[in-house]
Amino acid sequence: MTSNPFWHNIFRNQADKQTLSYFLSQVPIFNKLTRRELAYLEKLVHIRNFEADEMIFSAGDVGSGMYIIRSGQVQIFSLDTDGLEQELALLEPGDFFGEVALTASRPRSASARATTATSLVGLFRSDILEATHRHPAPTAKILFGLNRVLADRLLHCSEQLVMLQRSSNISQGRPHE
Amino acid sequence: MSDSPGLSRAQVAVLYLVLTTAIASGIAIYSSATTITSLLKTATSGLFLPILLAMIVAFMLEPLVRLIENRGIHRTLAIFCIYLLISGTIVLLLLLIGPPNWRSMIQALKADVPRYVSFAIVYLTGLLELAQQHFPFIAHYNLGDHLRDFSQTLIGAILIQTPRSAMRIGSLLILVPLFSFFFLRDSRRIMRGIIALTPNRYFEMVLDIYSHVSWQLSNFIRGRIIEAIIVGLVVWAGLALTDIRYAPILAVIAGVSNLVPYVGPIFGMLPGITIALVDLGVGAQFWWILCVYILIAQIIVDNMILIPILISKVSNLHPLWVILAIIMGGKLYGILGMIIGVPIASIINIVILEIRQYRRTFNPYNRYFSSRGKML
Repeated sequence: MTSNPFWHNIFRNQADKQTLSYFLSQVPIFNKLTRRELAYLEKLVHIRNFEADEMIFSAGDVGSGMYIIRSGQVQIFSLDTDGLEQELALLEPGDFFGEVALTASRPRSASARATTATSLVGLFRSDILEATHRHPAPTAKILFGLNRVLADRLLHCSEQLVMLQRSSNISQGRPHE
Repeated sequence: MSDSPGLSRAQVAVLYLVLTTAIASGIAIYSSATTITSLLKTATSGLFLPILLAMIVAFMLEPLVRLIENRGIHRTLAIFCIYLLISGTIVLLLLLIGPPNWRSMIQALKADVPRYVSFAIVYLTGLLELAQQHFPFIAHYNLGDHLRDFSQTLIGAILIQTPRSAMRIGSLLILVPLFSFFFLRDSRRIMRGIIALTPNRYFEMVLDIYSHVSWQLSNFIRGRIIEAIIVGLVVWAGLALTDIRYAPILAVIAGVSNLVPYVGPIFGMLPGITIALVDLGVGAQFWWILCVYILIAQIIVDNMILIPILISKVSNLHPLWVILAIIMGGKLYGILGMIIGVPIASIINIVILEIRQYRRTFNPYNRYFSSRGKML
């Protein structure tokens, strides 16, 4: 059977990749979820569209959830004492940010701004809390995935910290313990 | 006109046309707006009560639906299960006990109400004469006549309204289950659709406020309804021990009036006490009925047991606001307004409390100054 692009476009694959659940399944946090759990997650998240240079949140705002970038680009920055912007990270599709606010109502530690027209998938604390009552099992799996990625990050961070400490010890000429 | 120095003939014609069109379109817009609002008013006139009742039913059934849904059953199926269960219980009760004899009870009440009212009037007139002996200046306040007129119009209204309200109850029996089914199934989707309309900057705030309000409101409504049912049952049980007539109706009145805080219970016990005075006289049974209404139902069951368990979770309004809400609700929608005035006041309270947390979001200069006040 020849792969006629016309029919190819109409049936399956291409359209499949456009769906939200396909996108979510590609995100590391959610890649262990089954098709059914992804469909449930799809009902839980909110899609928000931002214009170029639109603020997503500012440092100090009361945060209520995390965002995953579906398309576009997001700049994370903080302001130094002179009020100058210090870029902390430039995030691409598939990255997520703001996850600290998902577990507790804390002020945002940095600001986020869309640098181009950006589509974000938002996952918020109130929805997660409600979901734990309604569907405990899939929600536990979603949170477990988030926990796994955060634990990986923490491990990476502490490894880097150890390396930094070693290098600073070496540079100061103190003996390594 | 054509000779006027400033304007040529063509300009006058254009001015004339523009002015006429403006006036005509103004009248057209005004009349169509009034027709549209009056059309909307007539179209939605009967819908307020069924939608309100359906929301209350949905709030009450939500925990049951969730219980079944947690076992992995689809939500729609879970709602159908609950509906089947409830209608099954009602049919079973009707088969076991037999339908309550409401008709004869209401017929008897129709005959008895004038008797009770005339007794109350005689009693009040006696009180008034006593008062007039001490305070002669109130002689021209003919309270007895006022009361008689009022009671006659009230009885007339009840007699006329009964068949009409039977029709309304019939339509409620169809509409309320239908509406509450959709509220139960789709309320989340509907609310998500509405919340999705908010601008990005306020989205997180609106989502948080919505979740708080819905949590508090569902707890409040559930608590209030359960409280009213239990108080009604307690009053029924207490009254059933005596020889008083119409115990079930009096229990329903006590339960429903208990939905209005502070003022409601007082008005809820008036008919019971009047009937007890007329039929039983001041005796042991009368004091027992008074005790049931005030001491057992209100103080012990309601204030000591039910309110701490059911309502204390919800942020409480100051009594002053509660009374203001009751009065304003009563002005707008009568007894129904008195009942729903307090929940609406507490919604406003929660929203104000929540928004205070987010006051930074509303600061328009937020983006242009650093946290230390330096201009960016």
